[in-house]
Order: sequence, then C-alpha cells, then structure tokens
Amino acid sequence: MNKIIAVIRREFIERVRTKAFIIGTVLVPVLWIGFGLLPRLLLERETGAQRLVVLDRTQSDVGARIAAALEAVKAGEGDATQFAVEHMAVGSDWESVRDSLVRLTGLSEAPPSAPHGILILDEFSVDSGRASYLGSNVASPRLTNAIEHAIEPVLLAIRLERKQLDSSVVAAAMIRLSLQTTRVTEGHVTGQSGEQTFFLAYFIDMLMYFALLFYGIQVSSAVMEEKTNRIVEILVSSLRPFELLMGKVIGVGAAGLMQMGIWLGTGLFVSTILSRPGPAGAAPTGFQLPEVSLALVAIILICFLLGFFFYASLYAAIGSMCNTQQEAQQTATPVTMLVVAGMILMFGLVNDPNSTLARVVTFIPFFTALVLPVRYALTPLPLPEVLGGILALLLGILGVVWLAGRIYRVGILSYGKKPSLRELWRWVRTD
Amino acid sequence: MTTPVVVADHITKRYAGHTAVRALSLQVSRGGIFGLLGPNGAGKTTTIRMLLGIITPDEGNVTLLGQVGTGRDLSARIGYLPEERGLYPKMRVLDQLAFLGEAKGLGRWDARKRAGVWLERLGLGDWALKKVSDLSKGMQQKVQFAGALQHDPELVILDEPFSGLDPVNSQVMRDVVVDVARSGRTVLFSTHIMEHAEKMCDHVVIIARGEKVVDGTMAEVKREGGKTHVALTFTRNAQAARGILADRSLVATVDDAGATAEVGLVPGADPERLLKALVMQDVGLSRFEVVEPSLQSIFIAKVGPEAAHPVARSEVA
Repeated sequence: MNKIIAVIRREFIERVRTKAFIIGTVLVPVLWIGFGLLPRLLLERETGAQRLVVLDRTQSDVGARIAAALEAVKAGEGDATQFAVEHMAVGSDWESVRDSLVRLTGLSEAPPSAPHGILILDEFSVDSGRASYLGSNVASPRLTNAIEHAIEPVLLAIRLERKQLDSSVVAAAMIRLSLQTTRVTEGHVTGQSGEQTFFLAYFIDMLMYFALLFYGIQVSSAVMEEKTNRIVEILVSSLRPFELLMGKVIGVGAAGLMQMGIWLGTGLFVSTILSRPGPAGAAPTGFQLPEVSLALVAIILICFLLGFFFYASLYAAIGSMCNTQQEAQQTATPVTMLVVAGMILMFGLVNDPNSTLARVVTFIPFFTALVLPVRYALTPLPLPEVLGGILALLLGILGVVWLAGRIYRVGILSYGKKPSLRELWRWVRTD
Repeated sequence: MTTPVVVADHITKRYAGHTAVRALSLQVSRGGIFGLLGPNGAGKTTTIRMLLGIITPDEGNVTLLGQVGTGRDLSARIGYLPEERGLYPKMRVLDQLAFLGEAKGLGRWDARKRAGVWLERLGLGDWALKKVSDLSKGMQQKVQFAGALQHDPELVILDEPFSGLDPVNSQVMRDVVVDVARSGRTVLFSTHIMEHAEKMCDHVVIIARGEKVVDGTMAEVKREGGKTHVALTFTRNAQAARGILADRSLVATVDDAGATAEVGLVPGADPERLLKALVMQDVGLSRFEVVEPSLQSIFIAKVGPEAAHPVARSEVA
C-alpha cells in the first residue's frame, strides 16, 4: 500500500511542479476572467458614453419624443443612461448638417464632443417605420436593439394617437409582455430561470468533457513516458502492474482535481466578488449565478471521479501499447470519439431530458458521467435512476479496469510495433 | 545458510514465434557472485525477468530466498538493475533515488537519507538537487546502480551491469559489486562479456538459445573444459602456424586472435608435440604456456562460433 502511495505522491508532486501545470493553473482563470468580464467592461465603457444626434426632419414633436425615449434608456442594472442624446431639428439643409456630423464620426482620435451615431428621422418615419442610423458602432447588436426598442413604442403610440385613440388607452395597450421563467424542482421554486438552467447544464457538460479528455490524455502520456524511459521495468519488479496503473491514474486524477478546484474556486470567487455572471463566458447580461444544489454538486463530483477512472484506465491501456505521441494520439481516437459523443448528447437532452434516448444513454457507462449530471441539472430525476446510472458506471469501471490492467501488464514491457487487435486480444487472454 | 537464494525449476517462456527460455533450471547459493552468461538473444533477460516475477513462466517455478512467491513480494530484500535502464529525466536526482527506495518498501525519510548517503559514496553529492537530464550518461548509470543497492538487499540481480560504461566507471561499479558480495550478500549478474565474468564470478551458468549448456563453479567449469589448453603468441610466419593448428589429430579447438591464439588439444595429445611442430616451422614463438582454458574459449566451444560475440574470431575448419 505504501508503494502505491509513493507512486501517487511522485506522480502528483512531479506533475504539479511542471511549468505546464503551473502556467495552466494560473492562466485559465485569467482567461476566464478575461473572456467573462472584458467584453462586459468594454461594452459598458462604450455604452456609458454613447453620444447620439437625432437629426429631426419631421417638423413635429416626433423627434423630440424619440430623443426623450432614447435618453431614458438605462445601461444595465444601474442608473446610468446608455445614450447622451442631442436633438437637432433640421430643415432642407439637413444633408449638409448630416455630412458635417458624419465627418466627425468614427474618427480614431475623436474629440469629446464627436457623436458615436446619427439617427435620421423624416416625416415618413412614423408611417413607414423606417429610420436610418449612421454610426461607428453598428456592429453591436446590443446597441441597435436598444435603439429599436426605444423608438418602436414611441412610433406605435404616435400612430395610435393619430387615429384619435385616447393616450391613456394607448399607454395601457402598450404594456409589453415579459415572460418570467422559473425552474421548479421537487415541488420547490428554485429561483432559477430557464436561461440559467440551460447555462448550468451547458457549463457542466463542457466541464466534464474537458476534464475527462484533458486528464485522460495526460494519463496516457504519463504511462507512455514511463514505458519509453524504461523506468517501468524497475517499478514492476517491486509493484504489481495493476498497482502501478492505479497509482498513475489516481496521481494524475488528484493533480487534475486540484487544478480544477483552483479554477472553479477562482471562478466562483471572482463572480461572487463582482456579483457578475459566471466565468464560463456567460452572456454579459445581468443574470445571477444559477442556484446549484448540494445534490447536484455531489453528482458532478461522483461522475467526474468515476468517469475519470473509467476513461483514464482506457487511456492508460492505450499509453501502454504505444511508443510515440503520434501513435498514442491515433490509437486514442476511438476513445476520444466516445467522450465527444457523450458531450454532444447534451444538445439532444436539453429539449427533453426525460426522453427514452436520455434514459438509455444514462445507463451506458461510456456516457453516464457526461449525461447524468447534465440531466440532473435540467430536470429532477428519480433517485433509482441516478443510482442506477452510477451503478452502471461502476460496473463499467470494473470491466474497463480489468481490461486495461491486462493490456497494461503486457504493454509496458513490449517495445516495437503497436499490437494489432488480434495480438491485443491475446494479451488480454493470456495469464 | 544452506538454502539456495534462487532456485529455478524447469522454467520455460514462449513468445509468439519462438521459445525464449526452455526448461531452464539453476540454483544460486548464498554469498558470492553468480554469472549468467550467454550470447545476445540467448534468453538472459527473459530468465532474469522470470526469476523476479516480472513475467510469469509458462512452465516451471521459481523460489526466491527460500520462499515460493514472486520477487515483488520480496522486493524489499532484492535489488534489481534492468538491462534497459531509465530514470525520469525531469526529476531531481535525490527525489528520483528516494522514490526508487520507496518503491522497494523503504519509508519516505529513510529512503531520502539512504539516497543521500549513496550519492555521496558515488561522488554525486553535488548533483543531488539537479535534474536527472543534467547528468552525463555515466552519472545516470551510477544513480541507477545506487537505486538497486541502497536498500541493502540480500540478493542483487544485475542485468548487463557494465554495458555502456567507460573503463573508469566500469571499474568503480565492479568494485562496488565485489564489495557487496564480500559483505555476505548474493550477486547474480548477466553478461555476454566473458572477461568480466571470469574475473568476478564464483559460479557460472551459460545459456544459449534458451537452454543451459554449462553450469558449475568457475573451477568446475574450467576443469570440465577438460582438454589441455595452450596459450600461444607468435611473431612471424603466422600462416605456417595456422597450418599446424589445423591438424585435427593434435588440435581440437582454436581461439585465434591473430598474433595470439588459445588452442585446446585433442584429449591425450602431448603439448610438446605441438611445441616441436611450431618450433620446426620457425614461427618466432614468444609464448607457449599450458593453461587452464579461459572462460571465453569454453564459452565458444559450448555456444558455437556463430554466437561468438564481442571479439570477432575465426576457427579453422
């Protein structure tokens, strides 16, 4: 037992000491923060000081009302307004005014008074619903949406008023629908929106996919490294190959778990501190972190550990058969494809997490680790189904570990050509 | 003291196309140096791996240190240096050595302490905190050597321990091996270089094509070489000398190294007849000595010239 612990400790310490590990551990949260927050910060900077000029050719109060509506648009949650609006009533000389404004727009070194965009309204805007916008920032769908959403009700109200409708009736008619979706689990309202549920499932799916693949491949190269270094022969003279295999898998797994712990920890920390959306590139709209139940966390952890054991054993067997990185990559392709397939299944589950397909794949050990947490995040699952999935995965692990152990035992001492399937079968069979 | 340290009883290992080791039996008694000799590909490494339980014999069984079981269960009492040697290149030397000790069952701190002592002993004290990849090849071999010996094993098994070492390092290692044997422990090592075996071993087994061809103490083996052996050095007329050595009524085997030769006489033949013939041919004889057969010549006689290794040799047909 002490020997296995020595193998695990060595694997863990040497792994954690490498530059790749340290850089990866630090860099990923930095990137997450970057991807998660930077666009938001940039957008905010941009939206905080958007100067719009409303070129009003309507000769009526339409322009002024639209300018007022634009002025009232809020940027995000706070009190800050999104636009600083200048209303400019123009006559027949509007084209020269427009051109002089255009010349000030979109300069790389714009003076503080230069407009970001020019909205042109004419007398037909009310009836045709057409207006033109010239701006340096038309690529931002957020911006154009905001402008459209501000203008549209004003135009609608003006049209109705022109049909002699009472303005109070108009106001009452103009109230917009806003559908609030909230998830219910086990008869409890969770305070989690539909969007958040999807985000959570998506995030879990990606996390599992990445973790299984990334650390699985690390096991494969660790095994192959020991084999090509020829150190494995000294080790198998004092440890059973199976003990060595388990030591490697657990050592890499522990380093992986620590790394993910650091990533998720910093992610949660940053998002809590800033009470902003999670670090996984969540849309920069103001929504809260999804509510994650303890049961879900437990299922994620169990599925990661078991799924990792399952796939890492397969990857270890592959590493033991191969002598070069390229060979290992090629040989690993079928296994990698299984992980990818499990990840893609999620998109089929989102619409109906209780479909027959979803139920069936939960019990296929290749997919359980990826499917079960995603389904659990999407919809409440009956306990027997959760336990059944975990049991299936455990049985799968027994089979895979047995198979991997048999292959590994022979593979680590076989140099030269990669075994054919038939030879592999002989490795498995012989004692 | 009387129980043999290693007993192999008719062990056989077959691979896909061939039999690597066939019904091999050997006994290593406690203390001293045991040589497992054979040409390349004779099955030495396979035999050693079976002795250690790294691979399981298809037939037969192995008893180590008086107990049936695999070498793994007894690994704390056995030191092993494989033929294909390796270390983790990115690991620090001391950590590496300590890990090897732990793999042998030493406690963590004990392993570190011993590793430090051994590094000092082999003159690598200054390198303890360097990465293995910063070491020269000879230094790495010393580290591996220390790895096989640091836990004070009763039985040390070394597979081709001197291959790839320069003469200086080779001498250092030989001294260490002799020291280990002198302290009452048992050393088993394999080699295809007979000079090493001849100088060091008390007992040798020669295997060829997976089968044992010679087994005995060094003295027994030499005695069994049987024939009268004569060591010769001639300074001229080598051609004429070869004519005489080709005389099958007189000379049974020739190990011809050009200017020198070792010949085995036909049983009953008188060495003086050979001397007379050579003098008559005026070959400028500068050495004529009746000697014990060298291990090399026994090896070649038993194994056959096609397997003769490291020095190229011709035998008169």
